[in-house]
Amino acid sequence: MSGVVAGVDIGSTTAKCVVLGDDSRILGKSLSVVGIDIVKDAERALEAALADAHLSRSDVAFITGTGYGRYKVYFGQLVVTEISCHARGASFLFPGTRLVVDIGGQDTKAIRINEKGEVVDFAMNDKCAAGTGRFLDVCANALGYDVSEIGPLSLQARRAVKVTSTCTVFAESEVTSYVSRGKDPKDILAGLHASIANRTLSLMQRVGVEPEITFTGGVSQNQGMVRALHQRLGAPVNVSPLSQYLGALGAALHGRERLSGGAS
Amino acid sequence: MITGGLDLGAGTVKGVLLEDGRRILATASLPSRGIPVQAARQVVDELGETANIAPAEVDYLCTTGFGRYMIPERNLQVSDFTSSARGAVFLFPKTHLVVDVGTQASRTMSISETGKVLKFKMNEKCAAGAGRFVERCSKYLQVPLEEMGPKALASQHPKLISSVCAVLAETEIINNVAEGVPLSDILMGVFLSLSQRAYSLMRYVGIQPEVTLVGGLVRDVGMVKALRDTVGMEVNVAPDAYYAAALGSAILGHSRLLKLRETPSDTGG
Repeated sequence: MSGVVAGVDIGSTTAKCVVLGDDSRILGKSLSVVGIDIVKDAERALEAALADAHLSRSDVAFITGTGYGRYKVYFGQLVVTEISCHARGASFLFPGTRLVVDIGGQDTKAIRINEKGEVVDFAMNDKCAAGTGRFLDVCANALGYDVSEIGPLSLQARRAVKVTSTCTVFAESEVTSYVSRGKDPKDILAGLHASIANRTLSLMQRVGVEPEITFTGGVSQNQGMVRALHQRLGAPVNVSPLSQYLGALGAALHGRERLSGGAS
Repeated sequence: MITGGLDLGAGTVKGVLLEDGRRILATASLPSRGIPVQAARQVVDELGETANIAPAEVDYLCTTGFGRYMIPERNLQVSDFTSSARGAVFLFPKTHLVVDVGTQASRTMSISETGKVLKFKMNEKCAAGAGRFVERCSKYLQVPLEEMGPKALASQHPKLISSVCAVLAETEIINNVAEGVPLSDILMGVFLSLSQRAYSLMRYVGIQPEVTLVGGLVRDVGMVKALRDTVGMEVNVAPDAYYAAALGSAILGHSRLLKLRETPSDTGG
């Protein structure tokens, strides 16, 4: 029997899918923007990952859904919370992980895990856009940049401008007022990244900061954020180009366990 | 005796000219546009023109609001809580709870029998509890700010907003529009959401009638209706309640001036 499994992670902003082979090697993956029709977006995410793996639907033995839209993954056989999936994915990629920091498009989580990749404790902010990808998105727009540009630009800052507003809306005006006062956008961006790092740290402290720390979610692809977290923690964080897929990867791994009859 | 009150707020600068601590001679307001000092100068000019009073005839100037220290020629400055409460009590003497919903912050004060502030609570950290939220909705819903309230009044089944964040609510509201929810229901949902935030501040200091609404949002009929529905009791409103903090500071300026004149040897300010 084929042991190919897939994990579909439907986030607030993007859909991720990972197709995993028998040997837990990644055969294919996909990343796409989530629109209004989440059911269709989930299907497309799977199709794209299968195309990347040169496989068809009939090759997949088990599909697991996760993320904020996990109940819209109708074609799946299992649904697992994104907290368990990020824990599992992070532990798979970086076995020494004890704390996962997941900064997504619309929420932020700190997840403390054990050596088996199981969740011990977690804290989360999903009530407020401050400290999430959305905050960076809004501020990038206010400065006239695409969100993909701001991380690298922030790395060129000479002197970070302190951003005092917590609220995204107020930060947006604060940022605009710094621009009109002639501050360098790079310095403002560095301040914005530092502000999120601060907020993230307080979330992490709620569950206990313990190395190794693995950074996951869409914002982990922002180098400015990686450095800001590193500086604030005084210690490096694990990050990889796969960090954004760790929820989907974790989901696929949970599915593999279920398939082989183990506990999940 | 003529005293002036200037409220340098985050969104608007408001001013009041008061005679003998009782009679309002003129009111004026202008958007701050990030430079409240400049707006304040224009407000002062406008007040003088309306009341036909030269700057030299103003005996005492009292400022309030976040920009109260920006006016060097002021005689006195008072906190937003004190001024706004004083203005509310002047307009409605039986006030025991003041709710001040402004552009950038909302605050609430409980008031003693003698008109003193007993307890207060403020939200200045989050746009969801301030007029800024309504401004943003006006922008992306493309409904002019002054039409938001009147349009909301037509609502039959207000669409409540579950997000407590102004940014996350935006996504929710846009989804509601896409789903065909009537505009009036969406708009009333916005005002109810703001009212609920004010209500939790009010409960913190204790709700006791009479309740008086002041500040930037008092002119918005949608806000007034939503607040009355949320609190489940009558809420005092008046056109001059928009100027409550400026009015209150003019009154407090008058009291201070009276005291100073009673004791001319006292040089303390």
